[in-house]
Amino acid sequence: MQNDETAVLIPIREETGTAEAAFDDFALLVRSHQQRIYRLLLGMVRDPDVAENLTQDCFLRAYKARASFRGDSSVGAWLIKIAVNLARDHRRTSLREFWQRLFPSSEDFDDIVERQPDPRASQERALLAREEVARVWSAVDELSSQQRAVFVLRFVEEMSLEEIAEATSLKVGTVKSHLFRAIRTLRERFKEGSANG
Amino acid sequence: MDDHLNGDQITALILGTEDEFVDRHLEACVACGNEVKEMRSAISAFRDLVHTNAQRDDSFWNRQNLAINERLTERRRYLPLQWIWVTAMSVVLVTAVIVARAPRATKNVATDESDKVLLQEVQGDLEVDVPEALAPAVLIADERNEILKNKVVRHTETSQKEGR
Repeated sequence: MQNDETAVLIPIREETGTAEAAFDDFALLVRSHQQRIYRLLLGMVRDPDVAENLTQDCFLRAYKARASFRGDSSVGAWLIKIAVNLARDHRRTSLREFWQRLFPSSEDFDDIVERQPDPRASQERALLAREEVARVWSAVDELSSQQRAVFVLRFVEEMSLEEIAEATSLKVGTVKSHLFRAIRTLRERFKEGSANG
Repeated sequence: MDDHLNGDQITALILGTEDEFVDRHLEACVACGNEVKEMRSAISAFRDLVHTNAQRDDSFWNRQNLAINERLTERRRYLPLQWIWVTAMSVVLVTAVIVARAPRATKNVATDESDKVLLQEVQGDLEVDVPEALAPAVLIADERNEILKNKVVRHTETSQKEGR
C-alpha cells in the first residue's frame, strides 16, 4: 500500500529542509498519510463513509492552512491534530450521533464486523469474538470526544503519551487522565456486560 | 485471595504502568489476571477491527485521491469567481447608493418648497372670511343691503315729515 507509516514520525524539516516544501508534492503527502488518517477517523467516528469524507476534509484543511504549518512537528502529527479536531467537530454537531445513541443497533457496525476476515475461526469462536468486539465498540462510543481521541491514538495508533499530547494539544498529565477515565469506563461497561450475560 | 486489585491499579496496568506489587499479585490472583486479560483482549480486538477495516484496496485510495484533487481544483476554480462576484456586487451596491442618494436630495427640496407654498395658500384661504367661490354672492348681498338701508332711511324721513 502507498502508506508509509514511518514517515509520519519524521519531522518535516529533517525530510526536506523547509516546512512549506512538504506541500510541494501534495499528492505524495496524501498518499503517504491517508491510510493512517482514515484509520484514525474510522476509530473515532465508527462510520466508514464519514471517515472517508473527513479524511478528504483533513487534507483539504491542511492544504488550505499550509502557510501556517511551521514545521515544529512532523506533518503526520499536524495532520493527526487536524483529523482529531474534525472528528470532534463532527461528533459535536452530528444529530446522527444522537439517534445512534438512542437506537444503538447500527448497520455500520455489522458492515464493519462482516469485513473482518477470520477464516480459521470456528463459528462459536467467531460469535464470541463478535460479541467481544461489539461490547468494546459500543463502550468506546460512550466515551467523550477527548477520551475517545486519546484512546484511539493510544491503542489503535499505538502512539506514546507525548505524541498524543502533541496531537491533541493537551498536557501529558491530561492525556493520562483521559486515558484513565476511558479505561475505567470500558471496565465498567465490561463488568455490566458480564453481569447481564 | 481476598484483596483484589482496585480499578485504578488495573487501569494503570492496562496503560502500561509497571508496579512490582501489582505484578506479583497478578501472578497469584486468577480473578484479577482474567480481568486484565479480558480487557487487553477487548482492546486488542478493537484495534484489529479498526486496522482491518482501514485496509482498503487501491481503488478506494485512488478514489480518495481523485476526490481530494477534484475538491482542491474546485476550490481554486471558484476562488477567483467568488472574488469577481464580491467585486461586482460591491460596484452595484456603491452605484445604487450614489444613484439613490442624488435624486432623493433634489426631490426633497422641491417637496419641501411646494409643501410650504401649499401651506401658505391654505393658511391664506383660512384667514379670508368668505370663501373665494362665494365672493359674487357677497357683492350681491352687500348691494341688496345698501338698497334696503336706503329704503329704510327714506321711509323714516317721510314718516318724520308727515308727523310734523
